[in-house]
Amino acid sequence: MSERWFPDEMPTPAASAETVGWWEAAADHRLVVQRCTACGTTRHPPGPLCPTCRSFASEWMPLPGTGTVYTYTVVHQAFIPALGDTVPYVVVAVELDGAGGARLVSDLVDTDPSDVAVGMPVEVAWEDMGPELALPRFRRAAVPGAGPGGRR
Amino acid sequence: MSAAGRTACVVGVGETPYAKWGGITDATEYQLSIQAILAALADAGLSADDVDGLASFAGDRNDATFVAADLGLPELRYAGLSWLPGGGGACAAVANAAAAVESGTAEVVVVYRSLCQGQFRRFGRGPGNAPAPGNAPTTGPGRVPHVRRARSILEAHVAFTMPFGMFSPPIAYAMVLRRHMHRFGTTVEQMGHVAVTTRAHAARNPRAVMGGRPMTMEDYLASRMVSDPFRLFDCCLENDGACAVVVTTAERAADTATAPVTVLAGAQGALRGFGHGQYSNVSMPDDDYASAGARGVARRLWARAGIGPGDVDVAQVYDHFTGLVLLSLEDFGFCERGEGGPFAASGALAWPDGALPVNTHGGSLSEAYIHGLNHVVEGVRQLRGESTCQVEGAETCLVTSAAGVPTSALVLGRW
Repeated sequence: MSERWFPDEMPTPAASAETVGWWEAAADHRLVVQRCTACGTTRHPPGPLCPTCRSFASEWMPLPGTGTVYTYTVVHQAFIPALGDTVPYVVVAVELDGAGGARLVSDLVDTDPSDVAVGMPVEVAWEDMGPELALPRFRRAAVPGAGPGGRR
Repeated sequence: MSAAGRTACVVGVGETPYAKWGGITDATEYQLSIQAILAALADAGLSADDVDGLASFAGDRNDATFVAADLGLPELRYAGLSWLPGGGGACAAVANAAAAVESGTAEVVVVYRSLCQGQFRRFGRGPGNAPAPGNAPTTGPGRVPHVRRARSILEAHVAFTMPFGMFSPPIAYAMVLRRHMHRFGTTVEQMGHVAVTTRAHAARNPRAVMGGRPMTMEDYLASRMVSDPFRLFDCCLENDGACAVVVTTAERAADTATAPVTVLAGAQGALRGFGHGQYSNVSMPDDDYASAGARGVARRLWARAGIGPGDVDVAQVYDHFTGLVLLSLEDFGFCERGEGGPFAASGALAWPDGALPVNTHGGSLSEAYIHGLNHVVEGVRQLRGESTCQVEGAETCLVTSAAGVPTSALVLGRW
């Protein structure tokens, strides 16, 4: 099991026929994005057809697991009681490298909330929430020559 | 265009008392919806025997079919429910009612909304009874036993937000405002102007839940942080109450008890790829993400109304969060893109002297959160000269529905 940042009581995902492949990849710690195999356009969240060329053919394209913070919020209120020991936590929208503009909602972990900024480079940090449920959180990207967590 | 005699008018408005969530215990949410309908009909000088249509918007628990039966409507000829989610649909429901009477589908349509967050889930709370991973149902598709099968398209989409702790509207829209701040330099104090100004308007409104709670900028800045940059007083109320609006034709309006208010134009919809809005979609183009998502609605609204933002005397702008009022003001053209903050800070929104008095009832931040149908009610009162913050000689009022979801808007005009 991985390091843990969030409590067991967090809501668990529900999947449709279109999205289950993304969750299966996540269970293997593979970050992917859905890509149309007809025209190459990516989309997230996943859907049944390409909104650009309307092809139903798609694949799960592997991603490097890096990106930058597009926007964020520091959540101070524990909206579920189990988060009482976790707040404040940082929800981020990550602009994923190599994903054709697709962004992912996630959390910034192992980083002081006061350090988060739009444009900050981040990298994936998988959290195993159960035997076959893993969620991609993100941490500040390691910078060559910097200390742990990229702090300089 | 409709025949002149069939031009849609609002002839009655009504509401129940508004109270903090859990404050109404002697009536159910469903009963309140009926009380509000009867109050609006009484205002119009009509009875349930005159009604042949009902309209509401997505997620209404209080089905029109049951309302029609319980009210004893002689015959239900129109039952319209807008697909626009949550607070995006209030103006659409009125526009749909207007289309129904203009087309001759129905003669008298009542639009209603009842929200008792004390009797149902408080919108500001996180999800209830979420199964822990170890206890999750093992009915999921594929080979991942701990991923449940989604019961709706929306549930499959919010699976990409909820497990990450983005499970309440202030969190999702704080991220939109953060992006707007990053791009345009919008500030917390500029958002505070919305909160403080509309609280002052509420002080004059005896219906307002927060009417007896004056607020200064210092009070605003001292309120606790919910989801940065949103403090408590950036967030709308959670409350109990209901309101309703009666729509009929100009011809019928001649016989009603009140001065009719004309529905000059309505528009509704969403930008390409907008989906359910920024709540579940953060992959949309940057210019759409850091906006109210209402540019298309605004363009079509002004074109249909034959007027522009400079012709509006007063506006009721959906205010689930202070910051999104700024974004709506930009999308509807009252200021340039990115200038919503300075526009608010200039004092423009304040009654009576601002360039564009906004939310003269106190809005969802300080009157009540009835998914913005109370903003339509207030727009009608302004054009009847009955507001507690009356804009002198008001002839046109813009009403908008929720920013950040597929949305709608109306231009109302004095008869």
